[in-house]
Amino acid sequence: MDTQVTKKKLGLKERYKLLTRDLGWETTFHSREEVFPYVHYEGIKIHDWDKWEDPFRLTMDAYWKYQAEKERKFYAIIDAHAQNNGHLNLTDAHYLTAIKIFLQAITPGEYCAHKGFARVGREFGGVGTQVACQMQSLDEVRHAQTQIHAMSNYNKFYQGFHAFSDQRDRIWYTSVARSFFDDALSSGPFEFMIAIGFSFEYVLTNLLFVPFMSGAAYNGDMATVTFGFSAQSDEARHMTLGLECIKFMLEQDPANLPIVQKWIDKWFWRGLRILALVGTMMDYMLPKRVMSWKEAFDIYGIENGGALFNDLARYGVRAPKGWGDAAAAIDHMSHQLMLGLYQWSFGTAFHGWIPSDDEMEWLSAKYPDSFDKYYRPRWEHIKKLAAAGTPFKNYGLAKLCQTCQLPCVFTEPGDPTLICHREIDYKGEKYHFCSDGCKEIFENEPEKYIQAWLPMPQLFQEPLKGDLGAWMNYVSLVDGQDNGDFDGSQDQINFDKWRGMATSNK
Amino acid sequence: MSYQLTIEPLGQTVEVEEGQTILDAALRAGIYLPHACCHGLCATCKVQVLEGEVDHGVASTFALMDFERDENKCLACCAIPQSDVVIEAEIDEDVDAQNLPVRDYTGKVIRLENLTPTVKGLWIELEQDIEFQAGQYVDLHLPEGIGGRAFSLANPPSTGKVVELNIRIVPGGKATTYVHESMQVGEEVRISGPYGRFFVRKSAEVPLIFMAGGSGLSSPRSMILDLLAEGFSLPITLLYGQRSMAELYYHQEFLALAASHPNFTYVPALSAEPEGSSWQGFRGFVHDAAIAHFNNDFRGNKAYLCGPPLMVEACIGSLMKGRLFERDIYTEKFISAADAQQVRSPLFRAL
Ligand SMILES: Cc1cc2nc3c(=O)[nH]c(=O)nc-3n(C[C@H](O)[C@H](O)[C@H](O)COP(=O)(O)OP(=O)(O)OC[C@H]3O[C@@H](n4cnc5c(N)ncnc54)[C@H](O)[C@@H]3O)c2cc1C
Ligand code: FES
Ligand SMILES: [Fe+2]
Ligand SMILES: [Fe+2]
Repeated sequence: MDTQVTKKKLGLKERYKLLTRDLGWETTFHSREEVFPYVHYEGIKIHDWDKWEDPFRLTMDAYWKYQAEKERKFYAIIDAHAQNNGHLNLTDAHYLTAIKIFLQAITPGEYCAHKGFARVGREFGGVGTQVACQMQSLDEVRHAQTQIHAMSNYNKFYQGFHAFSDQRDRIWYTSVARSFFDDALSSGPFEFMIAIGFSFEYVLTNLLFVPFMSGAAYNGDMATVTFGFSAQSDEARHMTLGLECIKFMLEQDPANLPIVQKWIDKWFWRGLRILALVGTMMDYMLPKRVMSWKEAFDIYGIENGGALFNDLARYGVRAPKGWGDAAAAIDHMSHQLMLGLYQWSFGTAFHGWIPSDDEMEWLSAKYPDSFDKYYRPRWEHIKKLAAAGTPFKNYGLAKLCQTCQLPCVFTEPGDPTLICHREIDYKGEKYHFCSDGCKEIFENEPEKYIQAWLPMPQLFQEPLKGDLGAWMNYVSLVDGQDNGDFDGSQDQINFDKWRGMATSNK
Repeated sequence: MSYQLTIEPLGQTVEVEEGQTILDAALRAGIYLPHACCHGLCATCKVQVLEGEVDHGVASTFALMDFERDENKCLACCAIPQSDVVIEAEIDEDVDAQNLPVRDYTGKVIRLENLTPTVKGLWIELEQDIEFQAGQYVDLHLPEGIGGRAFSLANPPSTGKVVELNIRIVPGGKATTYVHESMQVGEEVRISGPYGRFFVRKSAEVPLIFMAGGSGLSSPRSMILDLLAEGFSLPITLLYGQRSMAELYYHQEFLALAASHPNFTYVPALSAEPEGSSWQGFRGFVHDAAIAHFNNDFRGNKAYLCGPPLMVEACIGSLMKGRLFERDIYTEKFISAADAQQVRSPLFRAL
């Protein structure tokens, strides 16, 4: 009998090269510059696209196969969750506040990332890059969809889920995330990669997703946990794409370093402002806490981020400019934003509440240097007012930062009792900022940020002209239902009633 | 009980302890497998099991799906072998790796010499020839419960049965103190090896830079002697750093090699030589000597760095600022128990 001669298997690199070779043709009708016009105007110099490696070397057919299987699995779990009244397994209905914020502010960001990667996949030269961007684009639209589907079951039973896309576009506390993504989408392709691929996917992703997903696990929200796992299996590819991009730029030409450094400074600071929302969720909104925002920042920010910037230092990159201010703000951010959300709770599409005594104990233990000294007295005062039937509401409107679009509620780096305000006169107009970081971002690109759409000024323009009721319609917020105090809300009453029915014979 | 893990396409076999993961075993043996989360979530470390059984541990059902389990895939970061296992991983074959088998050797100490006040030369004659690639290291097993420690081979592969180690004394270090103070000529010793992936990528055919500090001269010396003996004709530069003239062992040998080989340049650098001594050469650290010698432009070379972790780190930074990057830099860090492992980001694979 003949023995079969086994052919030597092709290495993965060769196999991938053969599978993608036809994508990288030489253009003949038009010059490369005409076909890829956007890769030059940011000033980034590239000499050899082949040096951008795609270490995953995943082919499109394999990609479809994996993602289809993930979808099947995901929807099987989500269906089971809905059929088994998963919404009654939560620790408490006020947990849903965290999920409402996620759906209103973060999920639409996934959709923006999808659009952005579809665009840069077209704009970059280099086959490996194009394929990786295309896959990430598809991943992101899948993330947006699966998140919406996972949370849609809650929409059947609770308030505040029904109009997340209007709220993403129009409401004030979501504009920090919206403006982050709008800013990234209207940047050049390389800056987009630093904003989303690097800053968001690497520096921020752990701080954002790990707290939300473990918060979900701790509080019985299996729907959210499931999309977390499903999305996390794509994250390594995303993170790698961002890291490969930054290495590629830094290695291609020394002139790229100052440009990249500026983007790192900018997107770190913009990212930190989004994290204010996440930190507030961690410290105030989870009935069962995972870890404090400060603890999360120590692990994922200081330790992992520190390791990254140590490694980047080999290229001559320094830690982001706002790093020191960020570290100083960690003790205060979440408390300051929560006080803001509480006093304007008539204008939020989620419920507010005063922390319980237990929760305040936990906050003092987690923030020994700041909570008892600066924030407990304020909550005690607010509690007294509420008990006296005169709850503290601020019917004035917040001044928003022109860059990050959060209300200017944060304090000076060295003084937690003094609100930080910065101002610039530009072409006869005054612009306001929450911090030096945000002011500098504006100063680098004023013509971009004077075009920013801000929700508060919108309220005074056509067609609302300052009418709060009309504004609520405009942002699809049902007064007395989606907003206000959690105590006495329909969410609270229904959850208690249904849970009672599910766990007793009444 | 331990199992054998064979990693294709390298063809290299390593030991896996009871309960140890495939990833851990591979990394400890100096074989880089792609990985990121290390907790079974991200699927970066997915590999194909060709033979044998593994326990999937905490692998997420989204990162490793049922159909993949049926296809015998596993996540290396949480897969624990239940038998001898052969895997195929996404690693590029290294055409310069010979993947020589690791063996245990017995031999006798035939010579001990103080090369400097802190470095002892140790020559061992083995009972059989050892095959290794210049730059690799061995585990030296010592008595009195000291156990094995890593030392690079300082001789070129052509010396057959006789191997040479250059051992710097580490204050408070058991093994190095034993070698310096108790070891005797005629004593029987055991070594195992060769280990490591620090060898010259000859197939690249580009000029070479060697940077050595402290006892880190061993590997570069073996590599350079090997290259010159086989007639390598592209430029070779050795940047060699010590504290003082008294520590600059093999200085005369390299001067002579530089004189007889026009393609070999020798740049010694002293970091703590007393002011006003007869030293005419570079004063400062080895990475500063490199920047000066190459005028801060390292493009077009491959660099091999060997020595204490701090020196290696300083050299990597200088090379990268002089535009030589990870794909052209190879390192061997002389880590001892005193060097705390630094947290690293996933930016670089092996540097
Ligand atoms: C691949 C490789 C190749 C090498 N090649 C060479 C070579 O060619 N020549 C050479 O001289 N060296 C070389 N080394 C370094 C060499 O292996 C070490 O110096 C050696 O292992 C030290 O052994 P020791 O028993 O003397 O010290 P150890 O007893 O292992 O300890 C070293 C030092 O650490 C301290 N220490 C021990 N445990 C701890 C702890 N838990 N925390 C803090 N401090 C601690 C000790 O007090 C001592 O000061 C190499 C290392 C590697 C990894
Ligand atoms: S390293 Fe992430 S799954 Fe193994
Ligand atoms: Fe995503
Ligand atoms: Fe701001």
